[in-house]
Amino acid sequence: MAMKPSDTDQKLRKQRLIFYEDDIGRINKALENYQNLSKSRCNMLIDVEGHPVTQVGSTEGINLETIAALVAASFAATKEVAKILGETEFSSLTHQGKNESIQLSIVGDRTILTTIFDSQDTTVGMVMFYTKELVEKLNAIFNEIKSRKDSGKPIFNDDFKDMSGVLDDMFGDV
Amino acid sequence: MVQINFAKREINCKLVYYGPGLSGKTTNLEVVHKKAPASKKGELTSIATEGDRTLFFDYMPLELGKVGGMNTKFQLYTVPGQVYYNATRKLVLQGADGVVFVADSQPDKMDENLESFQNLEENLREQGLDPKTIPMVLQWNKRDLPNVLTPEELDAKMNKYGAPTFEAVAVTGDGVFPTLKKLAQIVLEKLNREYGLQNDGPGGGSAPAKEPPKEKEPAKAPAAATPPPKKPAAEPPPAKEPVREPAKAKAQDDRAERERAERERERERERAEREREREKDRERDREKEARPKPRDFNVTPPAQEPAKKGGGKGVLLLLLLIAVIGGAVGAGFAGKLGPLQKHYDDHLRQHLGGGTPAGQ
Ligand SMILES: Nc1nc2c(ncn2[C@@H]2O[C@H](COP(=O)(O)OP(=O)(O)O)[C@@H](O)[C@H]2O)c(=O)[nH]1
Ligand SMILES: [Mg+2]
Repeated sequence: MAMKPSDTDQKLRKQRLIFYEDDIGRINKALENYQNLSKSRCNMLIDVEGHPVTQVGSTEGINLETIAALVAASFAATKEVAKILGETEFSSLTHQGKNESIQLSIVGDRTILTTIFDSQDTTVGMVMFYTKELVEKLNAIFNEIKSRKDSGKPIFNDDFKDMSGVLDDMFGDV
Repeated sequence: MVQINFAKREINCKLVYYGPGLSGKTTNLEVVHKKAPASKKGELTSIATEGDRTLFFDYMPLELGKVGGMNTKFQLYTVPGQVYYNATRKLVLQGADGVVFVADSQPDKMDENLESFQNLEENLREQGLDPKTIPMVLQWNKRDLPNVLTPEELDAKMNKYGAPTFEAVAVTGDGVFPTLKKLAQIVLEKLNREYGLQNDGPGGGSAPAKEPPKEKEPAKAPAAATPPPKKPAAEPPPAKEPVREPAKAKAQDDRAERERAERERERERERAEREREREKDRERDREKEARPKPRDFNVTPPAQEPAKKGGGKGVLLLLLLIAVIGGAVGAGFAGKLGPLQKHYDDHLRQHLGGGTPAGQ
């Protein structure tokens, strides 16, 4: 564990997307608009590494963290399949169920738009049609976030000193 | 890579249990899932084969609580250990913020341990991560078995980067929490070094870490090494950053003191709350223990509560798809590596043919 952030750490730091209230506000607005147009049930943005970023709509009964992990894994796996077929990736994926379906679309290079919809309310075609427009909108927002300079803002406040207490609470005083 | 979400005041870290097949990675996660308080953990989801072998990964979310004002969450994953699943293993490792390497302490497992560790190094490097600097903890598991190697022997053979090490008997839960606790600490401290309070003198406001069994961190001042903060255009209000002026320092210290006391009280309340939850958990466990319960979570739909309007079916479908694809990718990969096929076959036979350790 080198104390000085290594070159790779610095590189990662640059790659990292940091979301602020304003960003999420804009993203959510775009998602809500899309959700109304496509008549989908709920929409989530998920980091390719499996972390949920934000969601709108009725996510009741859906364990967001777990679905994020599974969606990211599913996407990663199909990306490998695409490579074997000589494609760089599949830009969208649809899993169709009897009632509920899910559509995944890549946004930028790190985020997956996950749309859950009910076949009684809408169709795959409708969802895909509006997705294109949304993805363009989100891409623009993401590019802006990416090109913004690293604020150097500390993520933790002074309270970080109490970290070992928090760990003791969870894992016991060992 | 740690995801930072100021909108939710949340950080998400991905921790991966790595190691050879059957070393006890899944067992570690089962223990964490069993012991963590109900309100802090999500479902344990496994994409596994019939015979309990991890096909793609096991996964559970764990919420640590507030650290430095940020709600801190860990996503815990295990990888499939079998040699021929390298393609899926790489996928799980993507963006890992920390690794627990679970080694089997039996002498005849040393080759597999070393092979798996080397594979970890390769896979980390391939995605631009440095095995020397990524937060890592080694676990010597299965200490209950006879004739295991001593921790010193294991250390000499395996611990080339001087990572903290822990002995464990994962089946009984021994050593599982200390291992994870240490990794969590290292990950958070690293994050604090990269993103912590920058003008807080040497140490960057990092916690007074208890000395790990073995750690080769040189005692350099980390805060000085990070670049000075830059002022961005679009930033939320609380961003005005304290370059502390001496005149204000006293007042700030007083206020900081009061705030600390308040936080301490808050923590006290949370602790009591958690204790109550743990007691409830234990009660539930006692009830459950009445029934015999083998691994019952193979390919579990994520939401325990039935998702409304048959949503569960869709999820199940998704899971199946992943399983099929995961298998296909693994198989495709294995297929490409013709010369190694025999090795894999031997490997499988070894494990399937009564290689299961005692204590099941
Ligand atoms: N004796 C003993 N067996 C263990 C221990 N930890 C795990 N096992 C057993 O080893 C086998 C493989 O464990 P598992 O967690 O599935 O390994 P994984 O392939 O690394 O996920 C299971 O039968 C476990 O019960 C341990 O500390 N001692
Ligand atoms: Mg396993």
